[in-house]
This record gives sequence, C-alpha cells and structure tokens, in this order.
Amino acid sequence: MPLLSDLTAAVAAGKRTDTVRLTQELLAAGTSPQDVVEKGLVPGMAIVGDRFKRNEIFVPEMLVAARAMKEALKLLEPLLAAAGIKPKYTAIIGTVQGDLHDIGKNLISMMWRGANFAVIDLGTNVTAEKYLAAAKEHKANIVGLSALLTTTMPSMKETVRILKSSGLDGLKVVIGGAPITQEFANDIGADGYAADAGSAVDLAKRLVGEAA
Amino acid sequence: MKPSSLTGRQRVNRMLARRDHDRVPRCDTFWADTIARWQREGLQWDQNDVLRLLECDFQGLCWSWPAPFPLQRDVLASDAETETVRDGWGGVARYWKGRSGTPEHISFDCDSREKWERIYKPAMLAAPIQVDTRMALLRYREGRKLGRWTHLSGVEGFEALRRLIGDEAFLMAMIDDPDWVRDIVKVHTDIVLRTYEAILAEGVAPDGLWIYGDLAYNHATICSPAMYRALVWPEHKRMADWAHARGMRVIYHTDGRVGAVLDLFIEAGFDCLQPIEAKAGMDIRVLAPAYGSRLAMFGNIDVMKMATNDLGLIEEEIRSKFAAGMATRGYAYHSDHSVPPQVSWETYRAIIGLIDRHGAY
Repeated sequence: MPLLSDLTAAVAAGKRTDTVRLTQELLAAGTSPQDVVEKGLVPGMAIVGDRFKRNEIFVPEMLVAARAMKEALKLLEPLLAAAGIKPKYTAIIGTVQGDLHDIGKNLISMMWRGANFAVIDLGTNVTAEKYLAAAKEHKANIVGLSALLTTTMPSMKETVRILKSSGLDGLKVVIGGAPITQEFANDIGADGYAADAGSAVDLAKRLVGEAA
Repeated sequence: MKPSSLTGRQRVNRMLARRDHDRVPRCDTFWADTIARWQREGLQWDQNDVLRLLECDFQGLCWSWPAPFPLQRDVLASDAETETVRDGWGGVARYWKGRSGTPEHISFDCDSREKWERIYKPAMLAAPIQVDTRMALLRYREGRKLGRWTHLSGVEGFEALRRLIGDEAFLMAMIDDPDWVRDIVKVHTDIVLRTYEAILAEGVAPDGLWIYGDLAYNHATICSPAMYRALVWPEHKRMADWAHARGMRVIYHTDGRVGAVLDLFIEAGFDCLQPIEAKAGMDIRVLAPAYGSRLAMFGNIDVMKMATNDLGLIEEEIRSKFAAGMATRGYAYHSDHSVPPQVSWETYRAIIGLIDRHGAY
C-alpha cells in the first residue's frame, strides 16, 4: 500500500500520472477521501507554496503541481460530495472592475484550492456589487481582489470599502497584484496583502485562524 | 560639455559605450488614458508632442510581432465597454474599447504540439513580411533628420509564446515538452530576423534593436533562470549576435524582477536593460554599481511616485537614481513602466524640468 507521504511527494513534484495512480491506490486500500486530500494532497501543495516563496521553484512547476492535484480531485470530489464533506473555508476571487488581467488571480485561485479552500472565481472586471453578492451567497470567509493596473487601484479601494461596510460577519478582504503594496492595503483598509501566490495561501490560512 | 551639444544618436551611442556625453538620453511611454487626461489639461496634440517636449532621443522604425494569420481579426462579441476578438494568432481575447489596459485572454487555438506543427508553424513560415518596410524607411529618414537614435522594435520569443499558446499552456510545456517551446521560439526568431533583413534591404541602417519580452513579474522571473537559459536564451543570443554583426546595439525590455538573470542578459549580448521596474524591487542605486559597466540601465523612475504628484518625492527619486546611473555613464531616462493617468500634465512638465536639472553631466 502506498503511503500518503508518497502522494504528497508526487503532487509536490507535479507528477500527474503518479498523483492519480497513488490516489487510486490509497482509496482502494481504504484510505478515506478526506485523508487523501488533507493528509496527502494539501501538504504537497503546501510544499509547492513554500518552495515558490523561496524562489526554489517558479510558475511552471507550480502550474504542473496544481494540475496534478486537480486531476486527483476529479476522482475525489464525487466521493467527498457523497459523504457530505466540503472544504472548511470558502474564498471568492476576481479581478477588480476596470481590469481584465487574470494570470495572477488564476495562480492564487489554484493555490487556494490546493490549500483545500472552496474557491469561487468571479473572473475579471468584477464590480463591488458582484463581489458582495457572491460573498453573501457562498458565505465566504475570504474575498480576494486582484489588480494589475495602477488605473484600477481606485476601483479596488471602493470595492474594499463596500465589502468592509457590508456587515458580513468575519469576512476578510485581501488584495494583490503588480502595483499593490502592503502600504496601499493598510491605506484602503484591506485585511491583508500578498506579494505572491505562496504568500496568499499563508495569508488566507492566517486570516481564517488556521496555522500558516 | 555644453547641454544639447550632441545629437540624440550621438548621445545614445556614447551612453551605450560609457563615453562622455552632455546629458542623460530620454524616452518615455504613456498609457492612452494619460494622454487623454493631459489633452484635457492643456496638451495641444498627442504623445509625439510630449516626446518632443521631453527631447526624446529615440526613434522607432517598426514593430514586428509576426502572426500566423495576419489578416484574421474576427469580432466575436461586443458590448459598451469591451470587444471580444479572435486574432491573427488564433487566440480569443477581450479588449477594452477606447481605453488603456491589458486584454483578458479567453482561449488559445494553438493548444498542442500537433496543432502547432500541422497548422500554425506552416502558416507562420508561409506568411508574408508583416511590417511596412517602406514606412520603416520613411521613419528612418525622419529619425536621422531629427538626429535620433533609430531602432528596430519587436517582440522576442518568450512573449511570442505567451501570445500564441497562452501563459498556462506554454509554462507547463516548458516542463512537459521543452523541444516544442524551443521550436516556437526559434521559428519566431527566424521570422523576426527575416523581417528585419527586409527592412535593411530598403537601405535602412538602424542604430539598434529594441526587443520586448516580459520575462518576470513582481516576485521573480516567470520561469527559473535555468529554464530561461535552456529554452529561450539561445534565441536571445542569436538576436543579439545578429544585431552586433550589423553594427547595432541591443536594448532589452522586460518588466518585473529580473535580478537573477542579469548575468545571462549580459552573456546573451544585451547592451541595455529597460524599463527596470521599481515596484518589482529593481533599483539602479543597487544595480548600477554592480552591473553598470557591463549593462546600460534605461528607466527605473517609479511611476507610483510620479502618481503621487508630490514633486518633492519625485525629485528625490530622479535625483538619487540619476546620480547612480550617471556615475556609470551608462544611463538613460524612462519611467519604470508607462506613465499612468494619475500623473497630471502639470506634474509631467515639472518632471521634464527635473530631468533637465539632474540629467546634465
């Protein structure tokens, strides 16, 4: 029987075929789908995030790891759904109104999924009202706002203002993107800023009260 | 040396050779929304007038980004703000109408090596030269008349990959199928150099090549330095060798944090780096002492500081970075990306004054 640590190593190395095979073997051997996710796949993506932050790996390696996890989740999600098991936390993500850029947002979305958050991706050019409606509908813990352009930073500020004044209990708003800084996050009242996809996972975990 | 005693061409060539010159050479880039704001605030005409006021030393002759299907532009959807288009690379992207911004890439048709080899590679190789060579000649004559440093411009292989097969697919292909990536970069470079040869055949003798490819973002290079060295760098070197063999210098444009690959840029033969993005942690006050004798620096004036319209802050940015760059004799002014519309016309005119004040040798 393979070990969960084998699965962790496979997903961290982005080995899609091995990840799927090990997932199948672990399930066949009686490991619960929840353990496969939480003790096999999620630690693998955590390794990816840490190595990415330290520039030991780069975006291509992160993408192939996320792809491996996604393939394994295709097997696991029906089993998890049948058992009534859902991710503990939900995140909404999108690129703010006026901005069509989506690469950074997509990377963070992948890494949050890799950390076992349910992620609702609203796409690009998202209005404050749309973020708010999605946060209410999905009872989100986190809303992530992305902006590439300096020209869309005012839109980010307005979105943060609307979300923070919405009265949604415990909702945390985090921001990121090329022109964004911690100072800007402080100025506009965001709950956090992440400089890269690896740090975004730590930030989200910290804000929902999980150890990063 | 008296101010403005040299032509722009002489000035840039001396800057690139680290020889004495009169003042820091200059160029800049602006978002369309910035020019629109400045027109509302008193700018008479367009960005060419801003560049004249800046006393820009550079003259672009062409823009080469060869597409497999250069005539294809199918509008698939349109609303009040955006237009969704299938372009000459087979991709579908949503663009803003009449305003600044990058597009949203929705899909890429060239999504497999098989499709590349069956459809896109033959189409690219068979497509005609996609630059107006006669227009390049006219711009060259104009540039020489104005005394400007004339350059061929276009995209290099890394950026071409992104446009053709999309970020996620090409970055994963760097691991899954590196030979495919090498082939696309090589074919792109072949066509770009063929295009430039056609321009030279018109009698154009440019001073340099200014090639564009965003290898990095705020955090790091997009791929590892080793992967860049193995898959893209050989074609960068080929472009630089081609230019040097014809007496041209090479300016390489990349956004982002590229400190880890500066030695590879130098080894490839790049003469100058532009625009040296401050918000990605690039700072010529650190880089120029370490690399300035081997790589000229062009840019790095932080647009985020410009956007404050705080002239004290902006002056310190210009003063301190000009001092670091000018100490090597290998520095030219450019914002660290594109001047954003938060910058008022009054502020930008003041910035030109600051460039005059701090940029004279």
